[in-house]
Amino acid sequence: MNNNNFTIKTKELVKVFRTEEVETTALNKVDLEVKEGEFVAIMGPSGCGKSTLLNILGLLDNPSGGEFYFNGVEVSKFKEKQRTNMRKANIGFVFQSFNLIDELTVFENVELPLLYMNVPSSERKRKVEAVLERMKISHRKKHFPQQLSGGQQQRVAIARAVVANPKLILADEPTGNLDSANGEEVMNLLSELNNEGTTIVMVTHSPSDAEKAHRIVQLFDGHIVTENVKKIL
Amino acid sequence: MKELCIPVPGFGEDQIAEVSLTIGEKKVVYSYRVESFPWSIDQPNEDCSALSADDYEHATLEQINNLRKSLSNYDKGWELIQIFTPRKGATHIQVLYRKLNS
Repeated sequence: MNNNNFTIKTKELVKVFRTEEVETTALNKVDLEVKEGEFVAIMGPSGCGKSTLLNILGLLDNPSGGEFYFNGVEVSKFKEKQRTNMRKANIGFVFQSFNLIDELTVFENVELPLLYMNVPSSERKRKVEAVLERMKISHRKKHFPQQLSGGQQQRVAIARAVVANPKLILADEPTGNLDSANGEEVMNLLSELNNEGTTIVMVTHSPSDAEKAHRIVQLFDGHIVTENVKKIL
Repeated sequence: MKELCIPVPGFGEDQIAEVSLTIGEKKVVYSYRVESFPWSIDQPNEDCSALSADDYEHATLEQINNLRKSLSNYDKGWELIQIFTPRKGATHIQVLYRKLNS
């Protein structure tokens, strides 16, 4: 791993999905660089490859071709275990459908990434309490996800994403299932985290959510067709 | 409430849809425009040679490069809001813009 600031970079990234009859190129030679502290929004029509790109950037999937440098390390051919280790140490995810575990309480959901990282119990408790307090959801820590509103569930999901202090947050339509007031609150939280130095890459259909980003990348049919710098860091 | 969806009847090319929004004392005017950029090509290029006729709505590299050029040469006073997926066989691709600072 290099000593430079955290970056992610793709070179001619390709992702092809194959079935017996059909071959679909979801990403076609995508070149993208995201620097430390950036907030990048990825937009484009349904099926253009946004979520596929996010899954690869999040080390949930490998590309079919091209290069992917995660903090200076070429990871495009990493095995599942290597990807998992790098993901646990560096990335937090926020999904449209929250992806909380219904059988676990709010506290236990947020604690999960720290358990995977073998963080000692007392430290886990301290970190989880602190992040729940910050997300203004600590009064619900003993509740189960289905006892919470959508906005509260997404705040828990963000708490889970940031509890291990990741360098990168990947958000896939984070306000897609929320009403506008809760959506705005979630976007404000993401902006706040970004202002504190966390790099964020967010897939969105919402132009107003994208306005919070420094840069908007437009994907179309697996290609980046334009990039629009909104704010200078 | 942060966004409203409103129907826009008969919104054609070369027209600007102006939307005035008044909230209490405050009035905001938004201007939207749909542009059509060329999308058809004479011959599929090599990148599409492996595709069957049924898959041919997949864009060719030439189409993508033409779209990139059109987007980058567009009036900087307008920001891109949405690229619409063209129908199979379409000769133009439509892109929605909003006037900056409107």
